[in-house]
Amino acid sequence: MSKRVTRIDELARDIPPARDLWPGISAAIEAERAAAAPAQSRRRSFWMPAAGLAASVLLVAVGVFIGKATTQQRQQVTAGTDRPGVETGAEIAVVPAHYQRDAEYRKQRKELLQEVNARLQTMPPADRAKVSASLETLRKSIDEIEAALGHDPANALLQELLVSSCQEEMRALTAVRDSGREEI
Amino acid sequence: MKVSGIRFVTALGALGLPLAAVAGTVDRTVAASPQGDVEISNVSGRVDVRGWDRNEVRVTGQYDNGVERVDVETSGSRVVVKVVLPRNSRDSDATLEVQVPKGSSVEVGAVSADVTSRGVLGTQRLKTVSGEISADISGDDSEVRSVSGDLTVRGSGKPLKLRASSVSGSLDLSNAAGSLDVVTVSGDAHVHMSEAKEIRARTTSGDLELVAKLTRDGRVDAEGVSGDLSLQLSSPGSLSLEIESFSGDITGCLADSVERVSKYGPGVRLNVRNVEAGPRVRAKTLSGDIEVCDK
Repeated sequence: MSKRVTRIDELARDIPPARDLWPGISAAIEAERAAAAPAQSRRRSFWMPAAGLAASVLLVAVGVFIGKATTQQRQQVTAGTDRPGVETGAEIAVVPAHYQRDAEYRKQRKELLQEVNARLQTMPPADRAKVSASLETLRKSIDEIEAALGHDPANALLQELLVSSCQEEMRALTAVRDSGREEI
Repeated sequence: MKVSGIRFVTALGALGLPLAAVAGTVDRTVAASPQGDVEISNVSGRVDVRGWDRNEVRVTGQYDNGVERVDVETSGSRVVVKVVLPRNSRDSDATLEVQVPKGSSVEVGAVSADVTSRGVLGTQRLKTVSGEISADISGDDSEVRSVSGDLTVRGSGKPLKLRASSVSGSLDLSNAAGSLDVVTVSGDAHVHMSEAKEIRARTTSGDLELVAKLTRDGRVDAEGVSGDLSLQLSSPGSLSLEIESFSGDITGCLADSVERVSKYGPGVRLNVRNVEAGPRVRAKTLSGDIEVCDK
């Protein structure tokens, strides 16, 4: 009987992706670095957050693959919700030490969500609704992929979509968080 | 700057700022390097960038009561144009036209201001939160970003590297060539490229339409979740295709070659492999449909 995957580290272990995903991830990080590089010589450019974004993207990759490479029993109780545009809830999890990087990814995402929610509150209502809906779409997409993985945990396409969707969510959250605060 | 009655009112009306709100105007010209950097920031209103043949940056426009002043500063080969607001003020409008040497590299940062750019040949990095961007892009390594604003970008037809991304906004890109990295979450993207060497496109729920003529070593990597992908591709050699959808359909002129991934599970794919090195196309979706044609 299949079950819904609720955490990325619940994915089946020892299943190689259909292709080596690292070149794509690395290219994305390098692209962000390249965008950030000229900014370093400037006194205060709005491209500076790209370095932080690259770190977030890397955390997603590390988080996903660390999670996949290790099997561990854990207890988790999730209260509230981590959707953008609403109050974040508290997550109580027993996280072994060797999950630290995965935990770091989740921690960073949670912090990012709090900042995004604060940023959304400063937006005009129409923009806030539009952006919140897009972020919710991203989260729903990740939920859909995780649900599908629950039925077909070895599916390489779904694994690839999950990784890139998590990365895209971090990119989008970072873009919203940083929007408008560096320009002036 | 003093402008007499009727001419002043007419000029302001033409530039779109509410007449009653105008508190000040700016008309500054500074010397600039022909290939220098120009950095412009404005919260709300409008920024129009124009490339011209002079080695000067000229800033004209007006602003309302929420704006303290407009600074135009030069440092080496860099010119910074900044709309300065009183502390903690965000309720402001400034409408600026900035003429720059056409070889300049331009950065524009805006919040709700709309941005247009014409005639600039250098690298451009244009960013808004909710404003719309309409730009002609000729410079390599350019980037256009928004959170909720729509993007309309026209390339010059010569190869360059371009990144375009929006969270909720749509993207319309035409006459581009070279390498493109495009990302939208919920906005639709329409991309028309010639001489496409590398295209990476990702959408979550928005639809992607890609019409491109690939180079002999061209690469396309397109991904959607629930958004549909439409790929109309031509190339000098035979395409190698790796197309797969978990629960969507694959249609188009190659649909006869579509096969099920599994006898019992969901999923369809289209694999066309050519022995010779040539253009390669990968496209994946979760539930979005993929239409692909190589003619």
